[in-house]
Amino acid sequence: MSTNGKKQIHCRDGLWSRPSSPDEKPQLMGSKCPNCGEVFFPVNPVCINCQNQTMNDIKLSRRGKIYSFTTMTLPPPQWYKGPVPFDLGFVELPEGVRVWTRLLGAEAGTFKIGQEVELDIDVMQVDAEGNEILGYCFVPVKK
Amino acid sequence: MREVAIAGMGFVKFGRYDGQKGRPYKEIYELGAEAITKALKYADMEWKDIQAAYGASMFGGLGVPNQCTSRLGMPGFPITTVEGACSSSQQAMRQAYFDIANGLYDVGLAFGTEKIPPGLIADTLSPVWMLRMGFNLPGTYALGTRAYMQASGATEEDMARVAVMERKNAIMNPNAFWYQGPEITVEEVLNSRVIASPIRFLMACVNADGAAAAIICSKDKLKSKARAVTIVGSAHATATYGYDNLGNSVREKMNPNCTELACKQVWEMSGYGPEDMDVIQLYEAMSPGFLWDAEDCGFCKPGEAGKLVREGYFEIGGKMPANTDGGLMGRGHPTGATGIAQIAELFFQLREEAGPRQVPGAKIAFNHCSGGGPNALCHVLKR
Repeated sequence: MSTNGKKQIHCRDGLWSRPSSPDEKPQLMGSKCPNCGEVFFPVNPVCINCQNQTMNDIKLSRRGKIYSFTTMTLPPPQWYKGPVPFDLGFVELPEGVRVWTRLLGAEAGTFKIGQEVELDIDVMQVDAEGNEILGYCFVPVKK
Repeated sequence: MREVAIAGMGFVKFGRYDGQKGRPYKEIYELGAEAITKALKYADMEWKDIQAAYGASMFGGLGVPNQCTSRLGMPGFPITTVEGACSSSQQAMRQAYFDIANGLYDVGLAFGTEKIPPGLIADTLSPVWMLRMGFNLPGTYALGTRAYMQASGATEEDMARVAVMERKNAIMNPNAFWYQGPEITVEEVLNSRVIASPIRFLMACVNADGAAAAIICSKDKLKSKARAVTIVGSAHATATYGYDNLGNSVREKMNPNCTELACKQVWEMSGYGPEDMDVIQLYEAMSPGFLWDAEDCGFCKPGEAGKLVREGYFEIGGKMPANTDGGLMGRGHPTGATGIAQIAELFFQLREEAGPRQVPGAKIAFNHCSGGGPNALCHVLKR
């Protein structure tokens, strides 16, 4: 719950875990196949690789390396309400999956391939009722 | 399966039909009907000769193919709407090809028509939460581009050279957006505004309206057998595990991408290989795509495309002329029409009707077309 009494809404339920204690940090939620071992983000009910019909929930590592990035200088049509320019990227997690993400926490255009980044959750926008819409992003690891 | 020929092609010049700034206004179905009429004229056939139609449009909405055909006649034959993102009309052509090859029909029509809204193309493939977070098509293309540059050593200058070459070709193509347009230089491309780094404005294809239509028939139904062009290979593949719906690799490469798959199938079906081709069409919604497409389709080794572009290998006068009509960059990209537009240039080349763009003695041609899904279509044509 945010401080003004309005709700905080995940932009999509189940993308990241809700910490159960103040020491716990959110992690992206994926699925791992008990049959072939492949890992997916976001969660998927069946294995896209081997069609195994049951999947196990997995909390993905909070840190990864930038596989690619781009700086958008034009606002995408319709849905995006954040600042421009802004950065997007793929972050490679140790589980072997590349996650599409926003890149924040540094000036747009300053990220590098191979840079270590970690998961963060932020308020992306406020809806008509004043509720905060949360999204995930990756930010530079604080040394 | 029997031999299938392309009897005729028709185009509405790719451009803007929005009625603004003195430009003509045409509805999406007017564009389609015009292209169909021209294709019939080229084929020396009549409306009543057609037995089935496959029509494509990405952004047009419901029933666009029917809107096009009902301006020409109400024939009662099946009119199937095909949507496959940017490869829509080539998927339509492939359906017509197999129907005729398998003897279901003798003469078919395949066409695509499109009017693209201005600005960044809306993404209807991706879930809303991603769009809220800023996901967009040029951004995703840019991510793939930077990853490709990292792996291959290709430079922004290589990407700019592709744009320059394709503009030069389009200037000679009466059906292209940039027909008689200004040439561009590598410097101008590299100084153009960044859209999604490293993609710059002049590395991206222009939004355009337009239509293209093909009359496909069994070879024996051609009105004239002179310079007959037949389809000898047709393939359609989608992504195997490891890629997202725009074709980005989302884990270490486990499987071939859909372009590699479709190419493998079309070489097997046609009995030819990349080295046998005289003229080709590669798919490049943005100019860096030309480079990885040349590699994925087997026209050079991984990482080699940039160097070959620098050497003029893919120019009209080079060893493997590619996108001689300007490609998507030079023609413009009315998405529903692009697939058949690509085939049309190869058709004109094989029939020695490409004028100043002509590759002398072209006999065998290859096409690759991609779309969101992702999907890849490949065709081999022979004269």
